[in-house]
This record gives sequence, structure tokens and C-alpha cells, in this order.
Amino acid sequence: MGFRYKGYAGKYLDVDLDKGKVHIKDMEEEWALLYLGGTGISSKILWDRTGPETHPLSPDNILIVGTGPLTGSMFSPSGRFMFSGMSPQTGIWAESHSGGFFGPEMKYAGFDFIILNGRSPNPVYLYLNDGDAELKDASDMWGRETDTTTDMIREQHKDPSIETATIGPAGENGVLYGCIIVDYYRAAGRTGLGTVMGSKNVKAIAASGALGLEAHDMDAYLEANEEELAKVNDELWESSIASLRKYGTTDLVAMINEIGRLPTKNHWTGFYEDADDIGPEVIANKYRINQEACYGCGIGCKYVFRVKEGRFSRGPTGGPEYETLMAFGSNCLNNDIESIFHLGTRCDLLGMDTISAGKTIGFAMELWEKGIIDEEDTGGLDLSWGNVDAMIQLVEMIASREGFGELLSKGTRQAAKAIGNDAWKYAVHVKGLEASGQDPRAHQSVGLTYATNVRGADHLRSLSSLEELGYPEVINARFGKEKFEEISKITSPVHKGEVIKDIEDLYALVDSAVICKYGTMWPPIYYFDTFTNVIPPLTGMSQWGDPEFVRTAAERICHLRRAYNHRLGITREQETLPRRLLKEPMPTGPAKGGLPDLDYMLDEYYELRGCDKETGLPKKDKLRELGLEYVYHDLARRGMMQSY
Amino acid sequence: MDRKREAGIPKKKGSSILKKALAIDNSRCTGCRNCELACSVEHTQTFNPRRSRIQVLKKEKRDIIMPVVCLQCENPLCQEACPTGAIHRNEEEILTVNPNSCIGCGNCVNACIYGGIAIDPITLKAIKCDLCGGNPACVEACEYDAISVVTLDGDGLRERAQGVGDLAKKYGLVREEA
Ligand code: SF4
Ligand code: SF4
Repeated sequence: MGFRYKGYAGKYLDVDLDKGKVHIKDMEEEWALLYLGGTGISSKILWDRTGPETHPLSPDNILIVGTGPLTGSMFSPSGRFMFSGMSPQTGIWAESHSGGFFGPEMKYAGFDFIILNGRSPNPVYLYLNDGDAELKDASDMWGRETDTTTDMIREQHKDPSIETATIGPAGENGVLYGCIIVDYYRAAGRTGLGTVMGSKNVKAIAASGALGLEAHDMDAYLEANEEELAKVNDELWESSIASLRKYGTTDLVAMINEIGRLPTKNHWTGFYEDADDIGPEVIANKYRINQEACYGCGIGCKYVFRVKEGRFSRGPTGGPEYETLMAFGSNCLNNDIESIFHLGTRCDLLGMDTISAGKTIGFAMELWEKGIIDEEDTGGLDLSWGNVDAMIQLVEMIASREGFGELLSKGTRQAAKAIGNDAWKYAVHVKGLEASGQDPRAHQSVGLTYATNVRGADHLRSLSSLEELGYPEVINARFGKEKFEEISKITSPVHKGEVIKDIEDLYALVDSAVICKYGTMWPPIYYFDTFTNVIPPLTGMSQWGDPEFVRTAAERICHLRRAYNHRLGITREQETLPRRLLKEPMPTGPAKGGLPDLDYMLDEYYELRGCDKETGLPKKDKLRELGLEYVYHDLARRGMMQSY
Repeated sequence: MDRKREAGIPKKKGSSILKKALAIDNSRCTGCRNCELACSVEHTQTFNPRRSRIQVLKKEKRDIIMPVVCLQCENPLCQEACPTGAIHRNEEEILTVNPNSCIGCGNCVNACIYGGIAIDPITLKAIKCDLCGGNPACVEACEYDAISVVTLDGDGLRERAQGVGDLAKKYGLVREEA
């Protein structure tokens, strides 16, 4: 009885929103074995169910909620899960991950995956409980902010332990970067999947479950788990872990400014003189009141802050991450930390991505400075750098798509198009997604990461901290001593194709298992051997004990996601960087003069990925080797495969 | 299960032992709930926090995160409330539920003001912390050292009282603002 492999709930939900029906289905054995979970299984489902004819905000798009075998399994950290679909912001592959407690709860409630199809005629929320699923009326929740929605659902079921994933007004109103908020503070932030949820008239997903999860061989799994945890506690990582526990990701503000790649003034430069005002020390000393952790996590990078008095005072709230401090801080030349807390919190409550919101506002501020837009365009708002009042108003206006907010609710790519003139020169995005808090002019490999990333200018698919923060032992072990010197040079493009390809493969598994980037990206503790160690005893998939099988699976997932984008028209031409990051040398700071050598890195990357260098498309042999013949046939039918 | 078991109380019957209990240092708890997972594995061989004997109470909007677990009271409210006499002290002086006599009525759950006892959603009988017979899995699983085993003498009582005080304060907070 039940699903063959353990560690999985064994069922997935196929929800027909048009008809208001939920279909409980058995998990597919092949999905688990070949694609593991999370991003891997999503890529298979999305490939099968959506394509060039799908419009992201039409009922044809699907929204997938996905967990992985490690979700809720006591692996540290095991609280992660993800969403995927086609992005309304970029029109291509979208995935967005979150920590917190929803993912495990969804599995304990009996489901590994949820696929939302169609569009409900009325606002609904999906309620999962002990193997059952039900669509429930959400009319009275529509329009509410995310925390109120969570409260209402818990109240409705008289169950304070229900875990939720909800959207806010931004996602309902069609802001292209609407996000999904998990419990109160965690966000599946990027690529606008909250807006996809909104377009389906789904306000929230709630889960409560007592079904639990089994392991294939519990004793062996716990032992493997302990071995992995022992790695985290190795003294090699002591200072990194101590920093994460004390500062969380806010530490990055200081660390990154030091190397000159903290996006400042809409990415004009990478050095912010006032970085101390928005950095780790002031937060830790003045505002931080508690440490928190996601489910089963021994790292504990989350924190709770409180602004006790003044205009921005509020009760305990989950703290902003590095990216939010960057987006609303250095990026907008805003050193008022309390306003950043406020802006970040408002974005969480309204349900929109802080990176895209902050970056789009920074973009508008630069257009204002350059005189490309003026008061007439903004409806009287003064968009001078660091004008906190204007930023606060804009965040509300974006969420409701009022006035000038309507334009900015579309993100920088579309806003630049609508504004015309030279506006495009200041739109810092790749494939439509605003750049996160990195800069390739100070850190070469970031350029490659941004350019090849399946969801746009985003760091979470292959960002390398190896050369950035210097982990010599790791570089030597992974790539060999002879490459150490070049790899460890943050400003050298040499061997970066190899590093980024390797890390992209690794993160594909991290995103499928599903675990956190802390412990994998920084500090770089877990590697491929982690998966060979823990997956077989947990799941019973003995194949996952074979390092080659694991590597192949990682590559398979990467290629399938890439192919999904190819089918939508992405080739080497789009795998590039915005003008500012490619052509304008870094003007100030420690990285002054820096520019990425993107073509050099791309060539190496395509070669190692098994892609054609001219087009970036996959080679037939590569797809065959990965068992992706169906991808080959589809692309070939569309005239997108050459015979190499 | 090959898990390291160090500190703790003697397992053997008849050994002279002091009463023990778990003490929680709330200031260290991050709310990760790993203790719940470890407890459920120990007692049910599954990952199932709903079957855990330690439960992490959360009111995130008020920054309340508090693991609650049986305090091994001197005058146990649960025992008093049990109509079938299912709750008794075992040979190690640990308050234990006898599943054969427990009828799952939940009187003990209502009686315990600390949330120290619960009904297992699968067996439908009362479950509570039994200190794992010596080395509690939750203590070992907590990466933040928020849980420890204390002896119920002077120091231990003080430590436990600290935890209870915190709890009362937090509950008080909830009441205040409700
Ligand atoms: S394991 Fe420790 S930190 Fe985590 S919830 Fe339990 S007591 Fe708190
Ligand atoms: S279950 Fe509650 S009342 Fe009973 S001994 Fe434990 S803490 Fe005291």
C-alpha cells in the first residue's frame, strides 16, 4: 500500500478550479526517481502542461506547489518548499522558494505536490487536512493583507497550528511581481507567482496534518543525517554559522559593500558610503529582539525586530533580509533603516516582492534624476534619491496599481518600454526580472549566473560564494589545486563557466530536495555527496546512492528547465546582461573599473553544459544522455534543434 | 537506534534516583521544532510533530515561541483528573500514561495548565513526555541548547521555575491583549 518510496507523502493534488473539484492522485514513481522533487518534478509537470501557447495570467497557466523528500524530514534545514509556473513578469520559467513551516505541514497533511489548474469563478482558498482537500470560500478574505488572511484562516478552523501560504492585494490586483507569503514573514518572493495565484482567484492554501512521514530505513537515515549535521558543526564553518545566527543575512550588507558590489543608486555603483546605517550592527544592537529558525533548521538565520517608537513603530516583525535592505536602502540611496523596515513589512503585508519593488522604485528615481520623467508623470511625487515619503507612497500605489504605481507595477522592463527614450538604459534586469543584490562588475561569475539563470537576473540558481568569500579548501576539493589561483580570483572570468555549471547542478538538487541555500551556497557545506548519503536511506531509491546517477539527475533538471525557456524563445541572445552591468565600468569603490567578460564565460559554460555555443540550445547527444529524448523531439519539431 | 546518549538518568530499575524533568530556556529557543520531530521519531518511528510529546507554542505576531512539555509536577493535575487512574509514576518516578487504561477522554489535557499532555491523533490515547527513559531525544536534537534535563532539587527546581515563569508571563501576555 502507498507510494513505493518513503520520505514522500505519496499523493499529489490536481485541482480543477474551473469546476471547483480536487483530484487526489498517486505520486508518479518516475517523477521521484528521475526528478527527485521540488524544482525537478515541477520542470517535468510544467513542460508537459504549459508552453508557448500559454499566457501566464490566463487560466491555462498552472501554479505548482512542490515539496521534496527532505521537506519535513528532520534534515537541517528541512522546512523549504517551492512554487512554480510561468512567470507573468518574465513570461518564462518561474520558481520561487520559501522556508517556514508550510512545506512540512503540507506533507504531513498528505500531499507532495499541488497543481492548480484553471480559474475559480469566486475567491477560494484550498484547505488540506489529513489526506483530504477542499476548496473553501474566501470572499471575505479577498482584498485583505497577508497577516489578516492567515489569522482569518486559523480562526475559521479554530486551529492556530494551521500553516498558510497566502497572497495579498498586490497579487490580486495583478502587480506583476506579487508574491506568496508563508505564515507571516516568509516569502516566495520572486517572479510574480503570487499574481498567478491571484489570477486563479485563489487567496490562500492552508494545511494541517497529522499523517506524518516514514523513512525507508529510519536508523540509517538518522545516522546519515547526523553525519551531515556534523559537517555543519565543523570548526571550518564556525565563524560563518556564528555570523548567520547573530546577524542573519544582514551581515551581507557589510561584507558585500567591502568588496564593492552592493548595488547602490540603481546599480550605478557597488559601494555605498552610508552602508553602516543599514547594516548588521545597527540592526543587531538596536532593533533585533529574537532569533528564529525555519523548520528543523540548526542554522537559524532568521530574526525578529521591533521598532519601539516613532513614525515607524510596530510590534514584533520578521526582519528584512539582505536583499530588502539593499533594494530599499543602498539601491535608492536611503540610509533610514526604520523606513526600510517599514517598506519591507508593507511589501510582505501587501504581498509583493521586495527586490522587484525596490529595484523598480530605484529605476524610477534614476529616470527622475536624468529628467526622463518628471512631476507630470509621477502625479506630483518627488522621486529624488532617498525620498522616503515618496517611496512609502509608491509602495502603496504599486500594490493598488494607482496613478504612477500602475506603471511601476509592471516592473522595469515593461515600464521602460512604456516610457521610451533612454529609459531602457537604466532598467537593470535580465529576461524581465530585476537584478538581485549582486554586481558582475565586482564579481565576474555573477555575470554568468545572471545571464544563464532560468528565471532572470537572480542569484539563487547558481551564485558562487567560493571565490567571493574565499573557501580555498572547497575550491581545491571540488576543482583541483591547479585551478585554485584563477578560480579564487573574483575578478577573473577564467574557469567561471565550470564553477557556475557545477553550482547550478548542485542547486538544482538543493531546490529539488528541497533544502536551503544556507549550508549549500554559504557557507558551502553540503555538496553532491550529501544527496548520495541521505536520499537512499530516506526514500529507498538506491540509485541515488550512485554519484553518477545523482550528477546526471542534476543535469537533467537543469536542461529540462533550460529547454522550457528555449521553447519560449530564449537563446544565447537573451542570455545576456543589462547595459549598465555589461558596458559601464564600475565607477567607484573597491571594484572600480570592473566589467564582466561575459562572452568568455558563456562560451565555457555552454561547452560544459553540452550546448551549442552559437545558440545556447542543447545538443542532441546531451539530451539523449540525460534521458530527455522527449525534449529533443519537441524542440526538433519546432525547428529548434540543429543536427550537430 | 544508534544515537549518542550521554547525560541523563540511570535507566536500570531500582537504582536510587532523584526526580528529573525537562527545563526550557526560552531565550534560546528559535522555534525550529526540531525537538518535536525528534520526539516523534523516538516514539513513533515517523516524522510527525502532531504525535510529539513536546509541542512548540507559537504566537509569531507577538514573538511568542515556547516549547511546552510535561513538567513532572509534584501534584500532577493530569493524574488527578484522570477517571481511570491511567496516569501513574513509574519505577523511575516519571509520570507515565498506561495506554491500556487510558480511554482517551482528554480530561488530563484539559486539566494540565502547561499543555504538557496531549491526545495522540493516531492511537487516540493520552501521550506525555516520559523523558525517553533517560536521554530525551529532544534535548539531543535541539541545536540551540534550549532544553535540558534537570534534577528536581534546589537548582533544578529553580531552572524549571524559570521556564514556568516565562510560560506564565507569555500566557499572561496573550490574555492581556486578547
Ligand atoms: S529544538 Fe530547541 S530551538 Fe528548536 S523549537 Fe525545540 S527547543 Fe526551540
Ligand atoms: S502533564 Fe501537565 S499536569 Fe501532568 S505532570 Fe505534566 S505538567 Fe503537570
